Amino acid sequence: MADFDAIVVGSGMSGGWVAKELCERGLKVCVIERGKSTKPTEDYTDMMDPWDYPNLNKVSKSEEQEHYAIQHSIYNWSADTKHWWVKDSEHPYVASEGTDYTWRRGYHVGGRSLMWARQSYRLSAIDILANKTDGHGVDWPIRYEDLVPWYDYVEEFAGISGQAEGLDILPDSKFLPVFEFTCGEELARDRIEATFPTRRMIHGRCANLRRATPEQQALGRGSCQVRNKCHKGCSFGAYFSSVSATLPAAERTGNLTLMTDQIVAELEHDAKTNRVTGVRIIDRNTKATKTVTANIIFLNASAIASALILQNSKSAENPNGLANSSGMVGRNLMDHVGGAWASGRIPMTPELADKTTYGRRPNGFYIPRFRNHTEEGEGFVRGYGYQGGVHRGGWSGDNSGVGKDFKASNQTPGDWYMSMGAFGEILPDERNRVTPHPTKKDQWGLPLPLFDARMRQNEINLVKQASKDAVALLEAAGAVDIRSSEDYDVQPSRPGNSIHEMGTARMGRDPKTSVLNKYLQTHDIPNLFISDGSAMTSSACQNPSLTYMALSAKAAKHAADFYAAGKI
Amino acid sequence: MTDFMMLQRRDALKSLLALSAAGALAACVGEGKSEGSAKKLSASPKLSASEMALISAMAQTIIPKTDTAGAVEAGVPAVIQSLFTEWGDDNYRTYWRAGLDNLEQHFLKSGGQAFAKMTPSQQANLLGKYDAKAYGEAGFDDFYKSMKSTIATAYYMSEPGATEELAYEAVPGEWRGCVPLSEFPKTWAT
Repeated sequence: MADFDAIVVGSGMSGGWVAKELCERGLKVCVIERGKSTKPTEDYTDMMDPWDYPNLNKVSKSEEQEHYAIQHSIYNWSADTKHWWVKDSEHPYVASEGTDYTWRRGYHVGGRSLMWARQSYRLSAIDILANKTDGHGVDWPIRYEDLVPWYDYVEEFAGISGQAEGLDILPDSKFLPVFEFTCGEELARDRIEATFPTRRMIHGRCANLRRATPEQQALGRGSCQVRNKCHKGCSFGAYFSSVSATLPAAERTGNLTLMTDQIVAELEHDAKTNRVTGVRIIDRNTKATKTVTANIIFLNASAIASALILQNSKSAENPNGLANSSGMVGRNLMDHVGGAWASGRIPMTPELADKTTYGRRPNGFYIPRFRNHTEEGEGFVRGYGYQGGVHRGGWSGDNSGVGKDFKASNQTPGDWYMSMGAFGEILPDERNRVTPHPTKKDQWGLPLPLFDARMRQNEINLVKQASKDAVALLEAAGAVDIRSSEDYDVQPSRPGNSIHEMGTARMGRDPKTSVLNKYLQTHDIPNLFISDGSAMTSSACQNPSLTYMALSAKAAKHAADFYAAGKI
Repeated sequence: MTDFMMLQRRDALKSLLALSAAGALAACVGEGKSEGSAKKLSASPKLSASEMALISAMAQTIIPKTDTAGAVEAGVPAVIQSLFTEWGDDNYRTYWRAGLDNLEQHFLKSGGQAFAKMTPSQQANLLGKYDAKAYGEAGFDDFYKSMKSTIATAYYMSEPGATEELAYEAVPGEWRGCVPLSEFPKTWAT
């Protein structure tokens, strides 16, 4: 008899959802997390005031270089958030000659659901049909309509702030109240939409509880206090994370076991019955190994780690690893491409001069995709959206002047500034991949990830136009003194830099060219499911976590149904 | 024997690095340098009393006491000492030391005495001129701009800087995207 009905590998964005859904359906579930436990009272640093920090909350250069050579370039890096990121010195990886890869992550309960930027957008019917329409990659085995009930379901539980717009390119979610625009954004929107009638500037959609519902409050979550300290961990539980929402929901069923500090080395497979029977784990501290068994296994370890676990689970019968008869495991690695941005000053108007903001909104504006939708793109397929904000300038030490005048200039709110950056779709390409390194191993004896991913011509052409469009949008908003990616040789961001890695065990209709079927079940092994970013057949240009949530809830339902029916 | 040799080699390397760093810096800082730059800088991991006096005087000149605290009352010099001793590495310390020495030499020359000993109006006059040049001429003294930015950050992150000079709400509790400036006339601290 197996130890558990189900094992879920990973406790982050998607693993938390699978755990919740399976536990609530009565299954005994073991979530296995390679990192440490997360204790909000100890690990969250959101109750500090600016003057509480030693050394201006800065991490020393020597510590950055020694331990966080890659991680430290994250936009909200500081001394009180560095513990959310792995030490690169302890967790190295390799990029193939001539390539580069940025893999940012944290090893703790909650994973990157604690550090994410919370932007939450549905994929559209247009996105789900994109591969079929233009022939890149393979067709998704599901349609937008199949996702709708699952988007509805996860949105109401997680809590997404936003405003309904009725756009086909960016379907509406079930929304909590919106975080209103700043006066500068209202003006910019009016001007942009007057100049470009088919472009829209809408409110950002974010997983912050603008007003907590009774269902959310029952889990101990409260409304957003508008501090914009989310990246430190939120003591109010006001943004969605597996720690604030899904794991507590799983826990209260009494069906959850959470193992921390246990690295999954490989899956165990019974060739006779063609079932996965358990996982071999290594204690990250003692390095002791043991096997935990279950009737269902879900991989939710991230698109990189899940693909590596499969490839490391080799046997005579499966020389390329498990669930890899297609050879697609680890391939089609995608991200979102950045590198196109613009910022500038909005000259003062009488209305703007007299206005400011109250609170620190953890959100901004969004400009949905218009290229290859309402307007053609030059030399590329798919498209991009922009995220940004319009705010009054604050204090700065980088201004001329000394004495009372210097103080006064900082005490008075400054001009209005607009800034934004693009996230663009990356095409699925079999050549972009992650594999276990043939010789190099980590301190637990597991092969290092070997990345071989490049931005290719479609991404390059897309970013070039996104850069030009960014400037045109700022000009339309009336901005002056514009600085942008046009000032430089426009280059796509490095693969992985957007921290949206996905696609390494894609869903598809044909077992010869894909790893997962429409149930997120591997084509090859009926009791093995994957519902993290690995499953994505195409990347669209929207931030992907909301889709991982919907896919995870959907997959867990199918797994529980098959299990109850004795099919797996 | 090997260890001793290694140690000596490392020390030699270190002083070589420090020297070249200071040399490189001296080459790109403003007026005080020339013959002064060859002199040996202290290797102490702590800012000396005279260095601290210079920093305090410059910080207070940049951010004086008005109806709210100045840089000194807000504890800015102690933050800079901590950054220097606890946070910075040898490169950082060399950068500060060379930059401060350059400023001290400049003020000795232009004001006839140590900056810290001058009257507040003389300090404001001389530092104001230097500041205008630093922001007016690219590459005139990048250390000065970096130091000023650190002073301002330490001040506006301090409790009096954030809560009295600027406006600070630890827990705003609400978001209002468009409010009259007359209701909230001060820059938000964070």
